[in-house]
Amino acid sequence: MATEATDRIAARQRVEARRRQVEASTTIRDDSEDEMIVSFPEFIFKEFIAAVAMTAFLVVVSIVLQAPLLGQANPGVTPNPSKAPWYFLGLQELLSRFPPLMAGVAFPTFVIVLMILVPFLDRNPSRRPSERKVAIILFALYMAIVVALVIIGTFFRGHEFIWNWGWVLGNPQTCGGAAC
Amino acid sequence: MKVIRAAVDEMWSVMGQMTSAVFRHGLPMTDKIAARTALTNFVLHIHPVRVRRSWIRMSYTLCLGGLSFFLFIVLTVTGLYLMFYYVPSTQHAYQDMRDLQFVVTFGGLIRNMHRWAAHAMVITVWLHMARVFLTGAYKKPREFNWGIGTLLLLITLLLSFTGYLLPWDQLSIWAVTVGTNMAKYAPIAGPYTRYLMLGGTAVGDATLLRFYVMHVVGLPLVGFLLMVVHFWRVRKDGFSGGL
Ligand code: HEM
Repeated sequence: MATEATDRIAARQRVEARRRQVEASTTIRDDSEDEMIVSFPEFIFKEFIAAVAMTAFLVVVSIVLQAPLLGQANPGVTPNPSKAPWYFLGLQELLSRFPPLMAGVAFPTFVIVLMILVPFLDRNPSRRPSERKVAIILFALYMAIVVALVIIGTFFRGHEFIWNWGWVLGNPQTCGGAAC
Repeated sequence: MKVIRAAVDEMWSVMGQMTSAVFRHGLPMTDKIAARTALTNFVLHIHPVRVRRSWIRMSYTLCLGGLSFFLFIVLTVTGLYLMFYYVPSTQHAYQDMRDLQFVVTFGGLIRNMHRWAAHAMVITVWLHMARVFLTGAYKKPREFNWGIGTLLLLITLLLSFTGYLLPWDQLSIWAVTVGTNMAKYAPIAGPYTRYLMLGGTAVGDATLLRFYVMHVVGLPLVGFLLMVVHFWRVRKDGFSGGL
């Protein structure tokens, strides 16, 4: 006898089966047989531990490392070099090499738009690393370039933003980037 | 004796009522109770009731999305504390920072935590993006959430950048001068954009107020709303699953 309740259960099962069909192509491997567990308490507990660990880490770092506070702002005295915060040093590095319209405007806009479009540009449906070598290599290249530019901006740029090995070897009167 | 007994009993029952008002079920001894616990408690409610064990392996998410969100909360709490003592005017800002550092109880610690948590958040959000890319989790049906994520990355950077000006020391005004100078190179709109950001032609009082308002209200509000949508979509799209 098909009661309302059994109808609903059957409908749910159909939805679940359809979800699995769709999902099968969107997960790295078929996980539909993996053990199902209730989130509480195990999952919540893991998150809790991560939060406590992060808090402890922050407190320790904040006791040991003093955040920078230089002299009061003085519009009349421009420090040389003047540097942007470290996460923008990549941009500043590009600005020092390319025409400003390209480095300061066109390039960042291009990167942001490109990032939003990534899921539509990448036509490869697979999520297995071995089947998406090109995507992974391109992304690794992008990450490597960003990290390299930030490191260069922080440590290898001195007076007038000119290349300076002294930053690495230790330069007594000056300090670079956000680490000041 | 009897009166005391009655009072203690009464107290227990009130405390019991308080506890059960927050935690509406006892310790989840069975799956059924655990599921019901999750449905009736907000913190638990924003999580799925059931997950596959492979999804919650830390080696998959490395906790990075969750840590980004947690750092956002840490920044909100420590930021509120700083706001009690900080006046966003060029006359007071720097002195307020020094007071926070040397006079205010726990001021230095809270300021440091706010500062380092902000740096940490830029890093965790960036790495979270890398995790999502490398696991291909942006692919159908999660294209939209990747887009929301990109906006969250921008908001995170802008939050850090607007906060950078607030101490009003030599580091902050010149970093912001360099940063906002980049805007002026945009064709036609460039100089106007810079004027809009600075509230003038150079970094000054108006700039400090604008950056402050964006830093403590505008950007956190937009960021929070985007996070709400982001988490909701993670649930609706289904988590992308374990390795
Ligand atoms: C303030 C910044 C952000 C916060 C607080 C945040 C938070 C989260 C959380 C908690 C999850 C659940 C899974 C996990 O922890 O990995 C998640 C998933 C996701 N995030 Fe973010 N996120 C942020 C920024 C980003 C960015 C920058 C991107 C990409 C450009 C992004 C794209 C995604 C996608 C596509 C998912 C679904 C992943 C899956 O199902 O495996 N998010 N996010």
